[in-house]
Amino acid sequence: MTDSAATPAPKPSSSVKLVLLGEAAVGKSSLVLRFVNNDFQPNKEPTIGAAFLTQKCQLPNRTIKFEIWDTAGQERFASLAPMYYRNAQSALVVYDITKPSSLVKAKHWVAELQRQASPGIVIALVGNKLDLCEDDSTEDSQNDENAEGHEEEAVRKVSTAEAKAYAEEESLLFFETSAKTGHNVSEVFTAIANTIPETSLKGPRAGAGGGTQAAISGGQDSSRVNLTARGGDGGAKEGCAC
Amino acid sequence: MMETLDGTEWDVVILGTGFAESLLALSLSRSGKRILHLDKNDYYGGDEAALSLSEAEAWASRFAEDAPQCRFSKASVTKPAASEAEHGNQLSSSRAYSLALAPHIIYARSNLVPALVSSRSHSQLDFQAVGSWFVVGSSADSSQVQQRLIRVPSGREDVFQDKSFDLKAKRSLMKFLRFVAAYEDQPDVWEGSRQLPFSIFLEQKFGLPASSHEPILALTMSQASAGSTSTEHALPSIARHLRSLGIFGPGFGAVLPKWGGLAEIAQVACRACAVGGGVYVLNKSIKSMTPAHDDSGPSLELSDGEKLSTTWLCGSVDDSSALRLGTNATPSSAYSTSRSISIVSSPLPSLFPPTSEGGVAPAGAVVVVPSSDASEPPVHMFVHTSDAGECPMNQSVIYSSIAMPHDSGLPHLERAVASLLGAVREQPSPQVLWSLRYQQQHADFEHSLMNAQEGVIVLSSLSCDLVLEDSSLDKVKIAWQKITGESENAFMNFDPREGANDEDD
Ligand SMILES: Cc1cc2nc3c(=O)[nH]c(=O)nc-3n(C[C@H](O)[C@H](O)[C@H](O)COP(=O)(O)OP(=O)(O)OC[C@H]3O[C@@H](n4cnc5c(N)ncnc54)[C@H](O)[C@@H]3O)c2cc1C
Ligand SMILES: Nc1nc2c(ncn2[C@@H]2O[C@H](COP(=O)(O)OP(=O)(O)OP(=O)(O)O)[C@@H](O)[C@H]2O)c(=O)[nH]1
Ligand SMILES: [Mg+2]
Repeated sequence: MTDSAATPAPKPSSSVKLVLLGEAAVGKSSLVLRFVNNDFQPNKEPTIGAAFLTQKCQLPNRTIKFEIWDTAGQERFASLAPMYYRNAQSALVVYDITKPSSLVKAKHWVAELQRQASPGIVIALVGNKLDLCEDDSTEDSQNDENAEGHEEEAVRKVSTAEAKAYAEEESLLFFETSAKTGHNVSEVFTAIANTIPETSLKGPRAGAGGGTQAAISGGQDSSRVNLTARGGDGGAKEGCAC
Repeated sequence: MMETLDGTEWDVVILGTGFAESLLALSLSRSGKRILHLDKNDYYGGDEAALSLSEAEAWASRFAEDAPQCRFSKASVTKPAASEAEHGNQLSSSRAYSLALAPHIIYARSNLVPALVSSRSHSQLDFQAVGSWFVVGSSADSSQVQQRLIRVPSGREDVFQDKSFDLKAKRSLMKFLRFVAAYEDQPDVWEGSRQLPFSIFLEQKFGLPASSHEPILALTMSQASAGSTSTEHALPSIARHLRSLGIFGPGFGAVLPKWGGLAEIAQVACRACAVGGGVYVLNKSIKSMTPAHDDSGPSLELSDGEKLSTTWLCGSVDDSSALRLGTNATPSSAYSTSRSISIVSSPLPSLFPPTSEGGVAPAGAVVVVPSSDASEPPVHMFVHTSDAGECPMNQSVIYSSIAMPHDSGLPHLERAVASLLGAVREQPSPQVLWSLRYQQQHADFEHSLMNAQEGVIVLSSLSCDLVLEDSSLDKVKIAWQKITGESENAFMNFDPREGANDEDD
């Protein structure tokens, strides 16, 4: 009761569950690695099953903690994804701009999310590996550093216009990125953080249905029980935990 | 790469993604074993699933039959009143709901809590407080029968502060509560009364007036009739309630998992196993099993003809007749429970007083409707607010059950829901917008766990209890020990994973 006036209130903080979907080898894990560790591995091994990572994203008036589920594109039995997009507030559907089949797969994921996931889920469509066709997007070509993928196969096969039109049709956020150079990577996450409606951001893992259908109520900090608080001295105070 | 399971070899094949099977998957997620986790359904959670409205409707037609030997039967959906348009509170879209087939409450002292923490699964889960317990009593003054909600005090302070108590009753109650807190140390008080109906014990040993028995019995969460709730069963249950109070904060002692009850815990457990490399396949069941022989484990044939082999085959008896073949199982006992899930047009705020000043807001309440006939079981209702993530704001969900076959039980459930909605005294009076009713059967195959064939581990399915019992996790631990041969303190004890910083503890 005594110290309420002294310290300035910390920025409100909320958790956002995000799931990455997309064909194998389009760069899902690489995007996460860039976002979380600002790192890139030229020969990243395929994800087995799934991986879980967290990263904070600072907005001017609040902190968003992303709880990221990175799934395996190699997924053999189409049974894994449902357990990750259940209750997810956002999804990153990734394709590789040098591989048309990966956009087909991405559209399949978008349809499945719209059919099965939480009603208010925020979906971003992301065309990755922009560095492989740097010339058509940025002026300063990076003195041919893209040696790894041989030039011939490294040409753009999915036009920006086509993907963008599809994204607009389906009301998706749209970005072209490079996990290798880091181009646009943090922008994707920031855009998602900004798009998730504040009403669904009250607590850790807030509403399953944000957005227009704030159908499922945003959970409130004030109803979350901290299981690690033991002792009954009222130490179960939470909300300021992260 | 591998698009077929034909010819594959596994260390562990787990059948079903219900609560026990999924916790087994979690416990094995760091074992390095090759795990294949199958479910015959196209959804996760099995008997403990959480369902949207359209899923619940499909589920109901699947289990509509009068097949009492099945886990679920006689399921039906009703959408009662069409008069809701007036006050605008109508059903939302199907996916705005996540209705729990297993809305168990979990006491703070449950063995599940430390297991979730040490396995680092708790940070993926949201738990909320089950705040108040109520008894619906009818005071039949003169002609009118009035339903009335009596809040059961949640602890000694509560009783102490209650001004409506007469001093004598208060003293007796305090004396009783003190006794329960350490009943194990006072066998002289109760050993002789083990089999005695608990009400008689309360009256004889503590001089508690008959009117206090129902609130006390409510704390046992016993589904038996008052007349057959014995002292030896009631005391540990009340002690469990009282000893859990205050552990996670003042004013409450039990929690519920947000987003659909035990389904959410099962799902988080499966995710962890997948992160560890477990392979998940929905829509797949076992057609037949060839028992283990010589050095090789059981071999299996799946629904679409694929053949595979494994060292261990685990699953619940109910899940697959193939497993039943592996045991010479006949149930040692079986009983039926009538259940309903009702979506209500009001958030029923009077059921959710704060747990304490500045404490967490409760998302659950327990309401018990005792029977006037001591030989008839009570109706239990769990009421969840929209904070529990199961329904839209301004609505609530009531999970009701009674330990009776559906035909005789359902009228009791309907009366109980109606009397609760009357007793909250709201205007306009809250309506049931949608309701799923079904019969749940529990067959106890306890002994067959021992008789299972080599390489086969039978996980018994959850009982129809309302509280998650410690035995549920104990059975998973036994299965885990058989498979890994490790000592029990390694059970569910995991180091942090790389990249996942558990800073929010
Ligand atoms: C664990 C436990 C907790 C209990 N907690 C309570 C409690 O919180 N409050 C309590 O009154 N009794 C409590 N009791 C005692 C028991 O519920 C009372 O004997 C009961 O309230 C009396 O109801 P009745 O229908 O038998 O009598 P009635 O003749 O219906 O009631 C007697 C009088 O008490 C009033 N009254 C009854 N209940 C309440 C209430 N909840 N609030 C305000 N006035 C009330 C009635 O309006 C009436 O004037 C508790 C008993 C146990 C064992
Ligand atoms: N040039 C270039 N290569 C990339 C980029 N992103 C990823 N890669 C490479 O593409 C390959 C696959 O990347 P991953 O991140 O493993 O792809 P993934 O989508 O996670 O693959 P799965 O886990 O199998 O589903 C790796 O060799 C990466 O180094 C990028 O932006 N540019
Ligand atoms: Mg990957």
